[in-house]
Amino acid sequence: MNKFLGNKTAILLFILPALLLYTVMVFYPIVQTFFRSMYEWDGLTEGTFIWFDNYTRLFQDSLFFTSVKNGLIFAIIITVTQIGIGSILAFAVADAKIKGRKILRISFFIPVVLSITVVCQLWLSIYNGEYGLINKIFEILGLEYKQDWLTSSKSAIIAIAFVNAWQYMGYHFALLLAGVKSVPEQYMEAARIDGATKLQAILKINIPMMAETYKFCLVFAITGGLNAFANMYIMTSGGPGTSTYTLTYLMYRSAFRVGEFGYGSAAAAILVIECLIATLIINRLIARERISY
Amino acid sequence: MKKLAITVMSFCMVFLAACGSAGNNEAANNTAANEGNKETATNAAEETKTEEAVPVKLRIYAQYADDDTKLPYDYAVAELKKEMPNVELELEVQAQDDGQKLKTYAATGNLPDIFQAGLDIITTFKKSGNILELDSYVDSLGFRDKMYPSTMNTLVTDDGHTYAFPYAGNEFALLYYNKELFEQNNVKVPTTYDELMAAVTAFNAAGITPLSIFAKEKWPTVALFDMFVTRNEPQGIQKLDKGQASISDPAYKDAADKIVELVKAGMLPKGATNLNYDQAAALFHQGKAAMFLNGQWEIAESTKQLGDKAGWMYIPGVDAANYEASKYAFSGGGGPGGYAVNPDTKDKDLTAKVAAFLSLKYAEYKYTERGNPLVATKVDKAIVTEYPPMMQQLSDDIAKITSTTAFAWGLSDAKFKAAIEDASQSLLTGAYTTEQFISDVSKAVPAAK
Repeated sequence: MNKFLGNKTAILLFILPALLLYTVMVFYPIVQTFFRSMYEWDGLTEGTFIWFDNYTRLFQDSLFFTSVKNGLIFAIIITVTQIGIGSILAFAVADAKIKGRKILRISFFIPVVLSITVVCQLWLSIYNGEYGLINKIFEILGLEYKQDWLTSSKSAIIAIAFVNAWQYMGYHFALLLAGVKSVPEQYMEAARIDGATKLQAILKINIPMMAETYKFCLVFAITGGLNAFANMYIMTSGGPGTSTYTLTYLMYRSAFRVGEFGYGSAAAAILVIECLIATLIINRLIARERISY
Repeated sequence: MKKLAITVMSFCMVFLAACGSAGNNEAANNTAANEGNKETATNAAEETKTEEAVPVKLRIYAQYADDDTKLPYDYAVAELKKEMPNVELELEVQAQDDGQKLKTYAATGNLPDIFQAGLDIITTFKKSGNILELDSYVDSLGFRDKMYPSTMNTLVTDDGHTYAFPYAGNEFALLYYNKELFEQNNVKVPTTYDELMAAVTAFNAAGITPLSIFAKEKWPTVALFDMFVTRNEPQGIQKLDKGQASISDPAYKDAADKIVELVKAGMLPKGATNLNYDQAAALFHQGKAAMFLNGQWEIAESTKQLGDKAGWMYIPGVDAANYEASKYAFSGGGGPGGYAVNPDTKDKDLTAKVAAFLSLKYAEYKYTERGNPLVATKVDKAIVTEYPPMMQQLSDDIAKITSTTAFAWGLSDAKFKAAIEDASQSLLTGAYTTEQFISDVSKAVPAAK
């Protein structure tokens, strides 16, 4: 291994294709976004360099704060639901006593492979104020709790977040299940001999040993929540009004509806910074040292 | 280390060699292209000499989605084949994407020869030099003579120039109603706000949705707001767009107040801001909603679904006097738009001629076959399809119309358009106050910049 790592030529040769691709497809556009965020630019003409004016405007724009707030609400809801319920399901399915584990494993993963448009259309019917499934259930139960789920400016973002949470819970479930299975059996045996209950074993052995997996899931869920777009685009078009805007939606509106590409780039730049900070914090707080079994 | 240096060097060499050859290829292509241009130039010269037409292929980016856009287009193309058999059109169907695809084409230098442009595209492309000014062609092709005096606003933009050959005339937003439902429930067709409020209450009591609207699309919400504004300010939202009025002016404030009041009273179906056209129209067509808001192009569909039961009403006024005074102040209208020409097209004269021809024939078909008198240009052929009664009523009223405004897509200021669309949709939730509405829109009104 040392000999291999000593061969710098080989290292360069192997990383070069990926590095080139990464530079062209990821790094260059990000640099461009930051660069363009300092322009007043309509995407077609030359544009004027205006330093940080777009950012100053952004921080005075109430829509920016609505977008950031919605991004955070979205991220929190999907993180808690996906990782929380995903963990419970993963521990359940990993238990040898549970019957039909294979079917459960597959069925939890099915929503992940469905197209996001299909899922959104499905939930649009479920949430429908007139004949939607949820309101019908309340009606059958004789409850007066009928809601305009997607058309109330307060509940819409929460309703949309749950759709995303439902769809991608299976993804986190699969990751966590792999994590549970990678914990060596002898630790669990030792715990059993010492008289630990199932719950104690999970809390004291499984979860701490799966810190790396949880870190990965957290980064995915939080950044996925902050830059949510497709769900609101399909389900509410950012509405009612602007109540389900996120930073990505603000970027879309500024660039494509209003034709202010510079302002849109500024929103995108803030989004990149926001996601970077979230990732750094998660990396700082969780699994700082590599776990080896 | 030496090895590493050699490897890096050799990579650089390979890379440079690859780039070099690519450059050569490009040069070779350029030469070929130049030769091609020369060839075209020679061909053009020959053409003028012999007056023989060479086959020309033009790319066109146009609406081609439903019968109302497909049939007139097909007719125009068929007529073009007769008139200019050497011209072949390569159609690319216009995407419903706020002009994103077209703008991307413009940014990458890949703009089609002819494209459909609305006011927002004209405004943007004018700045970036992506649209040909057609003033000279309007006269040389005799297009100006074919326009109705009342539709000149669709030909000329505010700067006095023409950038597109229009086919659509001034269209209107109408308030449709189901006559049978009004009669059955003993409700008077409203002429004032109070009567409208009474109708809302009566229909709600009878379990009928008073007014159906597809508010997931934002333009109908703007049209509803505009209808209320026009009772006191005939220029409606257009005056805001031009920066000549403030959103806090009484006409706008009162309109927002009235909408909030009516929404709170239950004027709209549940979840209106998430209803698409199919869902909202179904409520009206199936007799579950008493009124429906849409453009005059809905006449055909409503007549098909409801027959004589469907009608359209004049917008209720503040009081009886206001109703009479503002009866012919219509909401909606037209604006500059139609088939535009790419300034980089090979033969500008020919492309402009084709674009003008297509517009005329497109309008001709809509007028003769689609029962639509609201076209931009005069048609000298007889009508094949008779107007439905609702269209007849509108057609009779056209001469009496005192003012029109604009649909949301006819607004020229993109920022104001986005703001009024978002805010008008919020108004329909009932949980959004007039103060919030004024504050949100005022930030984007051109005059307030």
